[in-house]
Amino acid sequence: MTQDSPAKSQLPAAGLADEIAKALPGIPVQAVETTTDLDLTVEVANLKPFVQGLRDRLAFDLLRNIVGIDFEADGMALKYQFYSFKDNRALQLTVTTGSGHPHVPSLVDLYPAADWHEREAAEMLGFVFDGHPNLKNLLLEEDLHIHPLLKEHPLQVGEVFQGIESGPVGFPS
Amino acid sequence: MTHWPEQLVSSREAEFDTVDMTINIGPQHPATHGVFRMVLRVDGELVTDCEPYIGYLHRGLEKLTENHDYRQAMGWWDRTDYLAGLCCEGAYCMAVEKLAGMQVPERAEYIRVIMMELSRISSHFMFLGAFGADVGSFGTSFAYAWRERERIYDLFEEVAGDRMFPTYFRPGGITMELPENFEARCRQLLGQIRQGIEDLDGLLTGNEIFIERCCNLSPLDTERAIALGITGPILRATGLAWDIRKAEPYSIYDRLTFDIPVGRQGDIFDRFFVRLSEMYQSCRIIEQCLADMPKKGLILDPKLPKTLRIDKKECYVRNEGTKGEYGVYALARGGTKPYRMKLRSPSFCNLSALREMVVGNYVADAVLILGSLDIVLGEVDK
Repeated sequence: MTQDSPAKSQLPAAGLADEIAKALPGIPVQAVETTTDLDLTVEVANLKPFVQGLRDRLAFDLLRNIVGIDFEADGMALKYQFYSFKDNRALQLTVTTGSGHPHVPSLVDLYPAADWHEREAAEMLGFVFDGHPNLKNLLLEEDLHIHPLLKEHPLQVGEVFQGIESGPVGFPS
Repeated sequence: MTHWPEQLVSSREAEFDTVDMTINIGPQHPATHGVFRMVLRVDGELVTDCEPYIGYLHRGLEKLTENHDYRQAMGWWDRTDYLAGLCCEGAYCMAVEKLAGMQVPERAEYIRVIMMELSRISSHFMFLGAFGADVGSFGTSFAYAWRERERIYDLFEEVAGDRMFPTYFRPGGITMELPENFEARCRQLLGQIRQGIEDLDGLLTGNEIFIERCCNLSPLDTERAIALGITGPILRATGLAWDIRKAEPYSIYDRLTFDIPVGRQGDIFDRFFVRLSEMYQSCRIIEQCLADMPKKGLILDPKLPKTLRIDKKECYVRNEGTKGEYGVYALARGGTKPYRMKLRSPSFCNLSALREMVVGNYVADAVLILGSLDIVLGEVDK
């Protein structure tokens, strides 16, 4: 048994890339098929106008999820998953950035749902969302400024698992 | 006629001026359904601002998953939505299967759906019990709900050897064959569950105080709910019949017949009633699965590799969890571990809309509104 019914997974994605190119001309887009959805890559500078176009012209009205990914030497990326109730189709949007604390425009004014997703990506990976009203830590301690989901962040911190001789236990400063 | 001097009037006004008060609820408080904290700013009895604080149960799920084998990491995922662990296992396994291109045997698919729907019923029972207690049924609803939930957990224990976190599924199928008398046991259980739902229905929906308390409280329209990222029963309560099991069917849901219950105005009562009606639909689904299920056959392909190695691939798999859209983003870049796994948890997204729902209502209702979101903190905090 496949996980999706075959009628759903293939058909809409094929036409979708053309439809988006027609509806939003002037914004360069790279389209790739992932295992589940169509994935579009846009420049960071074009993110906001593109997303606004998706919402207003193509009825992608639900922002499902925001995923931040650390590719180490290859920089970082953000993936946005959208869904359109009207046409029952899904879309993934990718933005690639440099490492460090990359600046990305916030989508909170377009999608209020982005609020907590962006706060999570900011604390876990160090993204800076310009225009976000309240970008403080969400899941971690308020004054703990670490980014645990960066690949360089160790899984085991300090000497926690080393035994009694190893000395004090604590967070890195 | 007395003429008050201007100065005196203003000083007396200052004397009677109200001052906003800040109230902290949680993290250890029975009304927060777990370790959740919210700070309310109140003007008399009215809430003027609300700030939720989460993260008290953060266990680093995503980091742990990135650092473990595909199969090893599974155990943590049913500890996200711990009231319906099997739904979470199902979503995780589907993500891995998508990446690896695995096929699940048909019999395993049916068993999975039965177990996932039983989890959904048990989770909704928990909601009905806890919500009844929030409204003020003083634990009667809780006792009723708990009785049914225990029966479901007994069946889980028979099937998988554990009650809350069975770790019963595996990428590619399920671990164990069903016990011999499973079908009869399950049908008997369904009868008891139906009776249990009716008992709770009579206790709560038949109670005038309950209705008075819940109707027209914090109504929500569909457009706003979508903008806030709300999914699941709360979105359906606003009148939109959207269920991932129908809209983007996974597993074998496209072969099953069931309805999507919807509400009218998205108030607290609609949210309650949508969940109540959903439980009957879940019973229907399980009955169809019991009837259609192949009686024999593989449940896990024995030829699967011992260690999964997956090349560069990504997917975003979504399930209809008990609280809404339970999405798993998975990225593989070769090797035996996932490069990135991200959980889109429905409770997290629904809870982020709490502020907007609570502001303007009474303090006593804030607790009710929080209860109606049916959050699970294991899922919110990851």
